Amino acid sequence: MSLNYLVIRLAQILPTFFLIMVIVFVLVHLLPGDPTSALLGIRATDEAVNRINEQLGLNRSIPVQFLFFLRNFFQGDLGDSIVLKVSVTSLIINRLPVTLFLTAFAAILAVLLAVPMAMLAALRRDSAVDGAIRTGFQIGLSMPVFYIGIVLLTFFAARLRWFPVGGFGTTFGEDLYHLFLPALTLAFSLSAVLMRNLRNGIIEVVNAEYVDFARAKGLRNRLVLGRHVLRNALIATVALFGLNIGTLLGGAVITESVFAIPGVGRLMIDSIYGRDYPVIQGLTLTLAILVSLVFLVTDLVQASLDPRIARR
Amino acid sequence: MTAAALPPGILGQRRVRRMGRGRKSLYVGIAIMLVMLVCAFVPELVAPYDPLAFDYNAIMHPPSLAHPFGTDNFGRDVLSRVIWATRIDMQIAIFCTLFPLFFGTLVGAIVGYRGGWLEAIFGRLVDLTITFPFLVIVIAIVAVLGPGLLNMYIAVSAVGWVFYAQLMRADVQVQRQSEYVAAAKVLGYGEARIIFRHLLPNAITPIIVYWMTDMALDILLGSSLGYLGLGAQPPTAEWGVIIADGKNFMSTAWWISVFPGIAIVLAGVGFSLVGDGIADIFRRRR
Repeated sequence: MSLNYLVIRLAQILPTFFLIMVIVFVLVHLLPGDPTSALLGIRATDEAVNRINEQLGLNRSIPVQFLFFLRNFFQGDLGDSIVLKVSVTSLIINRLPVTLFLTAFAAILAVLLAVPMAMLAALRRDSAVDGAIRTGFQIGLSMPVFYIGIVLLTFFAARLRWFPVGGFGTTFGEDLYHLFLPALTLAFSLSAVLMRNLRNGIIEVVNAEYVDFARAKGLRNRLVLGRHVLRNALIATVALFGLNIGTLLGGAVITESVFAIPGVGRLMIDSIYGRDYPVIQGLTLTLAILVSLVFLVTDLVQASLDPRIARR
Repeated sequence: MTAAALPPGILGQRRVRRMGRGRKSLYVGIAIMLVMLVCAFVPELVAPYDPLAFDYNAIMHPPSLAHPFGTDNFGRDVLSRVIWATRIDMQIAIFCTLFPLFFGTLVGAIVGYRGGWLEAIFGRLVDLTITFPFLVIVIAIVAVLGPGLLNMYIAVSAVGWVFYAQLMRADVQVQRQSEYVAAAKVLGYGEARIIFRHLLPNAITPIIVYWMTDMALDILLGSSLGYLGLGAQPPTAEWGVIIADGKNFMSTAWWISVFPGIAIVLAGVGFSLVGDGIADIFRRRR
C-alpha cells in the first residue's frame, strides 16, 4: 500500500466530515420552536437564554451560526447536557470506551463464529450440515437484537446464573465476563451476514485455477485453504465487515438498553427520554465520524490484502 | 471437485433437487405471508379475544386451550395481541418502504441514465448516508420529531430511499449500454419513455428483491423502536411493544415475550423466502 493512497483517502474523508457536520446542524434546527428553549428546557431563565444565544450565536444568521458550531466543535466543545449539567464532550469521552469495547468484542465474536461456519458450510456445500448452518443463521438474521438479548439474558443470566445480568466490570477480565452476553447478542446478526458472504466467496474461489495449482504443488490442505482460499475470499468480506460496523454501533444502542450497560447507546436513549438535545447532537456527530473512520481503516486493510485496489 | 468431473447424471439430479427446494421454500414463504396478511386485514375474525381487554381473573396464565399463548400481567390474551400486532407491523413494513421504493427507484433511474454531475452529487450523498449508522440517524430524527409511528415512517423514508436509488442506478448504468436502449434511441423515443418503458421494467428485479429484505428489516427496526418506546406507543399491540411489556416477567411468564418474538422471526423468514424465490425465478428466466 502506497503512501499516496493513504493521503488520497485521508483527503477524501474531509468533505464527508464537513457534510456530517452540516446534517447534524440542520437536524437540530429542525426542532419545533426556537432551539434555545429546546436546548435549555421550558424553565430556562432569561439570563440563561441570552447566554446560550450568545454562546451559540443563535441571534445571528444561519450561516454564521454554522460557523459558530464549527468553531466550537474544533475546540472540542459540543455544548452542555441539559439533564446531567456536564459538558457533552466529557460525557462522550466517559461513555464511548464502553461502547467501543462492546462493539469490538462483538465484532471479534462475529468473526470467530462466521469464519469456521462459513468454511464448513462451503466445503460441505449442499449437505445437511450446510443446510443446518444456513437455516440457523437465517433465523439469527430475522431476530431483532433486543429479542436475542432478552432470551440470552433470561436463560444464561437469570436462570442458569452463568453470567451477570448486566452492568460493567472494573478490570479487563471482568469486562470480558460482563460483556460476553451483550457482545454475543450483538454478534449474531453480523456473523449471519458475514457467514453468508464468506460461504459464497469460498465456493467461488475454491474452484479457481490458482487453488488447483497450489494443490498440484503438493501444498498441505490446511495451507491451501488458509493462504489461498480464505485470504482471497476474505477481501470482499472485509468490505462488508466495514460497512456493517455502523449497523453494529446501532445495535449497541439497543443492546446497552437491554443489558443496562453504561455506554453511549444507553446515553442516547436516556437523552431522548430527557429531551437532552445537545447530547443527541453530539452523539450523532461522534458516531458518524467514528463510522467514517472505520470505513477508512477498512479501505486500507482491503488495499493491503489486495494491492490492486490501491492502484486503481 | 469441479462440475466437469462429476458424472452428468449426478449433476442433473442435484440441479433438479435444488430447483425443487427453491420452489418449496418460495411456497413456504408465500404461505407465511398469506397468514400474516389475513391477520393484518381481518384480525377481528382470527383473534379469539379483544387485544386490549383486561381480564383480572386470568392474570399471567400459562398457555392453555383457552389461551394458547397465555395471558399477560393485565390478563390480556397474548395470542390476540400478537394477531392484532400483525396489522401494525405489516403497516410498518409497507409505510416505511413505500416512499423509498418509488422515490429511490425514480432517482436511481434518472441518475443512472443521465450520469455526469448528477452522479457526482449522488455519489457524495451515498457516502454520507452510509456514514450515519442507520438506527442512530433514525433514532436522532425520531428524537427531534418526537416518538411515534408517523415520525418513524418519516425518519426511515428520509434515509431509506438512498439504498433503492443506489441499487437502481447501478443496474441502469449497465442497461444503458445495451442494444435495446440504443434501438429505442434510434427510434427517436424521448428520455422519459426510454427510462420508464424500457429501462425500468428491465432493472426492477433487484429492487423488488431488496424491497422484500427491506420490509423484513423495517419490521425489525419498528419492533426495536417499539421496544425502546420510540415507535408504536402502548397500549397499541405491536410485537416489539408486547415483548417490552413482558420482558420483566421473562422468568415467571416467558410466554408474553417469546410468542411475539417468534412472530417477528416468522415474518422475517417469510419475507426473505419470498424475496429469494422471486430472485431465483428471474435468474432462471435470464
